[in-house]
Amino acid sequence: MKVLVTGAGGFLGAHVVERLLTHGYTDIRCFLRERSKGEQLLRISAAYPDAQVELCFGNLRSKSDCARAAADVSLVFHLAAGLKGSPAELFADSVVASRNLLEALEGRDSFPAPQTRVVLVSSFGVYGVAALRRGAQVDEQTPLEGRPELRDPYSQSKLRQEQLFWDCQRKMGFELVILRPGVIYGPGGGAFSNRVGLQIGPVFFHLGGSNLLPLSYVDNCAEAIVVAGTHPDSAGQVYNVHDDDLPTASRYLRAYKKHVRRMRSVRLPYFMTRMLAGALESYHRRSQGQLPAIITRYKAAAAWGGNTFSNAKLHGLGWRQLVSTSDAMAQTFAYLSEQGKQQ
Amino acid sequence: MTLKIAIIGCGKIADAHVEEIRKIPSVQLVAVCDLEPIMAEQLAMRFAVPNWYSNVSTMLEAEKPDVLHITTPPQSHLSLTRQAVAAGCHVFIEKPVALRHGDVVAIVQAAVETGKKLAVNYWPNFEAPALELRRLYEAGTLGSPVHVESFYGYNLAGEYGTAFKRDPDHWVHRLPGKLFQNVLDHALNKITPFLVDEHPFIQAVAYCGEPTPDGADPSQLLDELRVIIRGSQTSAYVTFTSHARPIEHSLRVHGTRNTARLDFQARTLVLDRQQGFPSALGRLFPPFLTAKDYLRQGLKNVNSFSHARFHYFDGMRRLLSEFYLSVERDSPPPIDYGEILRVSAMMERIFEQVYPEVFA
Repeated sequence: MKVLVTGAGGFLGAHVVERLLTHGYTDIRCFLRERSKGEQLLRISAAYPDAQVELCFGNLRSKSDCARAAADVSLVFHLAAGLKGSPAELFADSVVASRNLLEALEGRDSFPAPQTRVVLVSSFGVYGVAALRRGAQVDEQTPLEGRPELRDPYSQSKLRQEQLFWDCQRKMGFELVILRPGVIYGPGGGAFSNRVGLQIGPVFFHLGGSNLLPLSYVDNCAEAIVVAGTHPDSAGQVYNVHDDDLPTASRYLRAYKKHVRRMRSVRLPYFMTRMLAGALESYHRRSQGQLPAIITRYKAAAAWGGNTFSNAKLHGLGWRQLVSTSDAMAQTFAYLSEQGKQQ
Repeated sequence: MTLKIAIIGCGKIADAHVEEIRKIPSVQLVAVCDLEPIMAEQLAMRFAVPNWYSNVSTMLEAEKPDVLHITTPPQSHLSLTRQAVAAGCHVFIEKPVALRHGDVVAIVQAAVETGKKLAVNYWPNFEAPALELRRLYEAGTLGSPVHVESFYGYNLAGEYGTAFKRDPDHWVHRLPGKLFQNVLDHALNKITPFLVDEHPFIQAVAYCGEPTPDGADPSQLLDELRVIIRGSQTSAYVTFTSHARPIEHSLRVHGTRNTARLDFQARTLVLDRQQGFPSALGRLFPPFLTAKDYLRQGLKNVNSFSHARFHYFDGMRRLLSEFYLSVERDSPPPIDYGEILRVSAMMERIFEQVYPEVFA
């Protein structure tokens, strides 16, 4: 079975390739944009001499590159997505690229689409959590965002990407598994999710307070993707991905300050964040966008409204956390500390 | 009369067009279009545009817009302009106008022959201090321009630059004048109001300002450009730099009477005046006079901010307002076609020297 991993050069992609090798998959095509990212994949594959790890460079915005990527594969892990840039770039890299890939799968002679399984790595950002009451649990039954125009472009693009996959699945008949990770973190990743707070100028505004952070350590997330993506009962299912023993935003920030670097932070309670968001939103509207509405009441509710989370469905497939949350945070902070020293 | 506006091309810059169009009360954005339906759909969704299309003919037929904004890559500008003016639309084009000077000439011709109006998005020239400079020049405060310096800094470390450098298939790499072709309009269109020669002497040199990766062809990564231009009465320097910090967009006009310094980033315009004070006093007073100019400009900016007229693309809003007004009143468009053609001709001459294999 030839496996395709798109976005293999990314933070999560390399870990998914490693977990696939660990699980015994021996024929893997890694699709990635940047040649410089290929070296780490070759290092990983060196530990599995019996495996064939092919590096396939290209851009999923190109239909011909998609055709090369899709040739002869029967299991696709689609991780490639736009993470930053303009809204147009996010849509091009997440939605247009996905459509190109799915069309390439449909256009092949070697493997009919219905005999192919596609595993999409989506995001928590697709949930319509702004409408939930404070403390409500987010699980796979939580409704999808109904007001995408009020959310950030990343969430908009991921929501549209999911809709595209379900539409194409109905039309083409492939098996579809969707995973929705929370905040992926670990060595090589960033320090803070917006769920903890925002750095504005020299001050870090701690907005997450005592909210739980749906953290997913990169190794644990990759394991979840492989377990769910290859499980015989997962076709047509959606799985939320986060670790057990989730820390609060406050606990995470305290640990960061203790182990990585001292920093100034100002904690804003949720009601004050909402008030400030309302004022900024109002000014943004009155001034016709003179200052960007980086926070609106709707976005504040989505990011800092405060939810609990369940990964019970993922556990039901047999997924177990490879690295405990305390070890994961320690490893992440050790990496970030080292990075800080180098800078 | 409410003008109906449509946009073809739903990439990154289309967001700015939509935002500025929505600030103008006398017009309505009726539809957006992109060959890629997902891109048209996303723009319409994010800005609540009533209709979106993936075929420009269908959109022009169904919506019958008065003005079409063309924000596609420049390869398509000529054919889209011809299609738009034939359908009765006036045209507002994003820079670069076209890949080659001949195409720019054809675009202007298409507008002139059909009696439709055309403008190019030379928005920095419509920032408040740029308009003030124009008024000073026309009032004779500067005298005759002797020398003009246009400095254009560019941030290749940002998101756009990262995407451009990372992706060898990025559409900017496919421009014959590569990176320079995408941005040089803004460096040159600042000097053309002062340098009116049709065929000035031009000497250009370009180089790569950072070590190139092993195996990379440095000629493919040119990101520094210097140009000397000499007209019959006025000379000019143009500096395009990707590495100098802080990023600077500025224009200096040395006249026979006074010199003006325009900072597009800080939105300030100050005058270096001839001194009447004798000896050491002539060296004592200028900093205070300049400080007074900066204070006045700073207060003007505070006033603009307090009246919500200090947006990044405020110049584009002003340019669009003037363009739409010219359509409504059938008056001359805000940018003289001769200026558009002179910018384009200069770009072609520069690229002939920088990329002779392409522009021979």
